[in-house]
Amino acid sequence: MHQERSQKNQSTKPFKQRKNLQTRKEEVAGIRAKFPTKIPVIVERYQREKSLPLLDKTKFLVPRDLSMTQFVTIIRSRLALNATQAFYLLVNNKSLASMSLTLAELYKDDQDEDGFLYMTYASQEMFGSNLRSKEEKPVEYVLKVQNPLWHCCS
Amino acid sequence: MNSVLPGPAHLAPTSQGESCQPRGLCKLQPAASEKDCDNTFVGEGSTLQNDLDEVDKLKSKFMSAWNNMKYSWTVKTKPNFSKTSPLYLLGHHYLLDNKEDSERFQKDFVSRLWFTYRREFQPLEGTLWTTDCGWGCMLRSGQMLLGQGLLLHHLSRAWTCSDALFTSLMEREPQKSLSPSKSASPGLRTLERSRPVRDISIQSHSPADLVKEGLHRKIISWFSDHPRAPFGVHQLVDLGKSSGKRAGDWYGPSIVAHIIRKAVEGASEVSDLSVYVSQDCTVYKADVEQLLGWDIGPRGPRKAVIILVPVRLGGETLNPVYTDCVKEILRLESCIGIIGGKPKHSLYFIGYQDEFLLYLDPHYCQPFVDPAKDSISLESFHCSSPQKISFSKMDPSCTIGLYARSRQEFDVLCEQLTRTLNSSSVKERYPMFTFADGHAQEYSLDDVCTPSERAVPTPEAGARGKVKRPSTDEFVFL
Repeated sequence: MHQERSQKNQSTKPFKQRKNLQTRKEEVAGIRAKFPTKIPVIVERYQREKSLPLLDKTKFLVPRDLSMTQFVTIIRSRLALNATQAFYLLVNNKSLASMSLTLAELYKDDQDEDGFLYMTYASQEMFGSNLRSKEEKPVEYVLKVQNPLWHCCS
Repeated sequence: MNSVLPGPAHLAPTSQGESCQPRGLCKLQPAASEKDCDNTFVGEGSTLQNDLDEVDKLKSKFMSAWNNMKYSWTVKTKPNFSKTSPLYLLGHHYLLDNKEDSERFQKDFVSRLWFTYRREFQPLEGTLWTTDCGWGCMLRSGQMLLGQGLLLHHLSRAWTCSDALFTSLMEREPQKSLSPSKSASPGLRTLERSRPVRDISIQSHSPADLVKEGLHRKIISWFSDHPRAPFGVHQLVDLGKSSGKRAGDWYGPSIVAHIIRKAVEGASEVSDLSVYVSQDCTVYKADVEQLLGWDIGPRGPRKAVIILVPVRLGGETLNPVYTDCVKEILRLESCIGIIGGKPKHSLYFIGYQDEFLLYLDPHYCQPFVDPAKDSISLESFHCSSPQKISFSKMDPSCTIGLYARSRQEFDVLCEQLTRTLNSSSVKERYPMFTFADGHAQEYSLDDVCTPSERAVPTPEAGARGKVKRPSTDEFVFL
């Protein structure tokens, strides 16, 4: 199970690293020409996320008036999360907490230069012993044991 | 530099957010080996071989010993608090250049409940764990948060511990600390007094004081590390099982919020209090009202509510746009603190000064005592040394705690917070969390659900391409 995952992770670099700016721009232009009323959104897992699964898809075409609540519900259900599991969408390192916002509003302010709207999803960090001291090496060892997925997606 | 030391710094194990553990010994760090033997620890029974058992026992003993040493052995410098900037502590503020204020701050700070790692308690059910040293810090922070909620609920924000307890805490010798506490604070008379007699339980005078003292002890006893205590580590670990957590695991602020909710739900001791945990950073007012029974009549069975809001304020680090909002929340009297920490090290945030958060740190291992017994001093449940940590070191994952005594208070809180959340420097688009009218369900979607989604291949991904390319190359239509 873990191995499967780690293989998948290795092949899934962030979208921006898989395609150059020009290609991404063309892609947006193409899809916008075909579907002018939809917003192209990239949803990716936070690099260091340890507990949430990977989404099977990263590219979404979203109706302009879809609210964040609806969008979050869709992503949650695609990840098969229950209501109490921690799940956060971040845009430009800010948490999307205003659930009444529509995708169009978000897109207006936060679209990338390539024309996509990028979102990162993450749960919460866990807290245990304080091992993160700059000089100390064993941190990695501990993290590996503690979070088997950590090393393969960083 | 104008600075003052508001108290003898001898108990909390860190200083200015930096830990002072013995270096080079971290290879022995228990978190790793604990995880390794986790399965055998939880083994519910017969399949365990005896010698394996012995190994585990030895391991557990060794790790306890290691943790006990690690979390007792602390060298520290005293944090300096500015004399001229206001110091906020859960809605109260103090100016330390004012002697009276400084003493009031000490008393207020010392009166907060301090729950730390404990050792030598009864084994957690189905395991050999008799300590939570090294893994239970987030649970302890959660206990402190709930403890503050219960102090507000049963006593009040103005309540402070008895003078006798306060004096004995302020004058206590540093325990197991390598650095002797120097009383370097001329303004604080109590530091220079001689040690008092340790008899603290009988010194309260008025009957009202005695009742309050009784309540104080009662509340602490609910957190006793005993299987029957409603909020002790045994109960909390047990309630965490449904979230997939076991003794020895690390906990997050959101999971702990739900554990607290379940613990209060099941506790007959606090039948008039409920806990609401927000979902997706949104507090749905109608859900709170329903939970409290406010919607069916003014006299529902439960009156007061603790609102817990788990959030993530950035990816790797706290996004500085949220700092002002965190400060504003800590200035509210209805705030019962924030459980979070610095990365991997849980702290209970209760206030701030300038760019530093004021906190209580659970990383100090103390032997189990039964606070229900009158003969047991409550000193080990209070901390006399305030510590601070820079906002920039705060981990973005945390849970914010709020308390409202009644529906009216809840309405006021909603109004106040909505203003706070929108007014702070964060653009309206990105409040830390929001309040919404109605129920969460009303916002969910029947019309835009997964069945209607279609995966449409992008132009370059044909039927054959589908096999070769990663499936992520298609747009999903919502």
